[in-house]
Amino acid sequence: MHKNTLISLKNISVEFDGEKILNGINLDINDKEFVTLLGPSGCGKTTTLRIIGGFIDPDQGDVFFDGVRLNGVPPYKRHINTVFQRYALFPHLNVYENIEFGLKINKKLPESERKALVKEMLALVNLKGFELRKVTQLSGGQQQRVAIARALVNHPRVLLLDEPLGALDLKLRKEMQIELKRIQQRLNITFIYVTHDQEEALTMSDRVIVMKDGNILQIGSPTDIYNEPVNAFVADFIGESNILDGIMHEDYLVEFAGKKLECVDFGFAKKEAVDVVIRPEDWKISASEQGQFSAIVDSIIFKGVHWEIIAKHDDLSFMIHTTQKYEVGTSIGMSVVPEDIHIMHKMPPEGDSKQEEEA
Amino acid sequence: MKVKATASPYLLWMALFIIIPLGLVAYFSVTDRLGNFSLENYRASLAYSPVIFNSIWLAIIATVICLILAYPLAYNFSRKSANHQRTLILLIMLPMWMNFLLRTYAWMTLLENNGLINRFFGLFGLGPFEMINTSGAVVLGMVYNYLPFMILPLYSVMTKIDHSLIEAAQDLGCNSIQVLKNVIIPLSMPGVTTGVTMVFVPAVSTFVISRMLGGGSNMLIGDLIEMQFLGNAYNPNLGSALSMVLMVIILICMALTNMFEGVEEKEGMLL
Repeated sequence: MHKNTLISLKNISVEFDGEKILNGINLDINDKEFVTLLGPSGCGKTTTLRIIGGFIDPDQGDVFFDGVRLNGVPPYKRHINTVFQRYALFPHLNVYENIEFGLKINKKLPESERKALVKEMLALVNLKGFELRKVTQLSGGQQQRVAIARALVNHPRVLLLDEPLGALDLKLRKEMQIELKRIQQRLNITFIYVTHDQEEALTMSDRVIVMKDGNILQIGSPTDIYNEPVNAFVADFIGESNILDGIMHEDYLVEFAGKKLECVDFGFAKKEAVDVVIRPEDWKISASEQGQFSAIVDSIIFKGVHWEIIAKHDDLSFMIHTTQKYEVGTSIGMSVVPEDIHIMHKMPPEGDSKQEEEA
Repeated sequence: MKVKATASPYLLWMALFIIIPLGLVAYFSVTDRLGNFSLENYRASLAYSPVIFNSIWLAIIATVICLILAYPLAYNFSRKSANHQRTLILLIMLPMWMNFLLRTYAWMTLLENNGLINRFFGLFGLGPFEMINTSGAVVLGMVYNYLPFMILPLYSVMTKIDHSLIEAAQDLGCNSIQVLKNVIIPLSMPGVTTGVTMVFVPAVSTFVISRMLGGGSNMLIGDLIEMQFLGNAYNPNLGSALSMVLMVIILICMALTNMFEGVEEKEGMLL
């Protein structure tokens, strides 16, 4: 076990009504890190979180916390607190009482110390002066802050966050992302965050765990995940991608879209069929005859920072992000440098695994 | 406040069948047989205060027993799957499809001195036990007949308690008993007050149950009022005064339960 490992999941499997939700996953989470479980609906990320929180017991496998086996330990005995998806604030208590709840239950702290701790938390989440408000009268963002304060006031070693920003509007979400990261760094504890929003994951995390159909596909830093996705699914899920069929002729030489190009990948079988992934922003546009490929601009959409062009080359469509505008119908040349061509093994064919909504 | 035209049938209904009869009862209660103003009826009511207190006492016991029985039951129901919930609620409602009198008669045949229960004990050489015509039998009849009125409001409030609130409480360190005390009970208070009202009010004013299961020895205020209107002691003026007293008692009790609810937040109901 790694020295800093705080939580360790060993070969965890869970089934609901005969359907596999988690397929024997293994995962180590380090102390004081910000980890994000990322994946589409039904990938098992929330189930993983609930196993750590103690709300679900795995059918198989073990959960270790600081080296101690945690299976069967009820939630109230774990040094873990949760920020729930819909906040789950107690409607019969005001802001102050909500935050104080865990302190009142657990410790025999004197009133004055409890008060000081709650005040400290209110300051941390910027809700000074809201003590006596009813939680039902707060906005979504404020309820979110109360939920975070209510969990953190107990000084947990781990905070679990289950898509906590899902119900907020874009601007508030961005603010809260930065705020959450700030809180995590300030308190210096472990955050385990669940989301399906890849941008959120990349913004906040020290490490991202990409999940699909109850399996972990990739674990890595945001830059690793973005720049070196292990397969086309991860590449596509983490930001936009062009995914093309290709053939790896030999090390450092790949053929796709009718061209043989130099690349930086090696170690594939000769003539192996591969996925070639190119990020839309990695295409360079030039005059038609100067590019590696020539294409016709099929559509162009303004995206704020950039233009998104769909260009046709034979039967293939390419997505390109550029800061310059091109008229529809223009012939353009497209080039990509070897470092930006990402070669991946083809994914095993999709089994009967279905993507269903998470419970 | 402007009253909509569509509300007029209800207003007419209320005037005809609630306001006017109430006014008549109030009028009768302050007049003598000849129609002269008199507070004699209320003074006469005082003589019956043991009956009134007995009624309140038995109704309180029945309400408390109903609450104790219904609360865990309703909580269990609310945590079952939707299909199970429907079946269980149907089972609770089932006895209510039968006539109230029939149900109470059934208890008579069970509790009588040579009834089924005593005959059963007789097989072992026990008894016969004196069960019918006791205040215990009256309370039993009240609990049996009014228990669904306690279960249903409790159940409907409890199904609305979001399961994530229970998980949040566990997450914050509550064991099951603390979850009950800190989350479920406060959030189900609106159901408790509704249930208490719905059981206490009919129990305190019943006359059928006390007549059939209590015999002559357990007269309740309901019996007393009925006797003034339909019985040998025909005296509608006294009956009206007793009715007014009963109404005041019920209003005071409802105000008390509402005050109790007021302490807890009313938000629970909205969830």
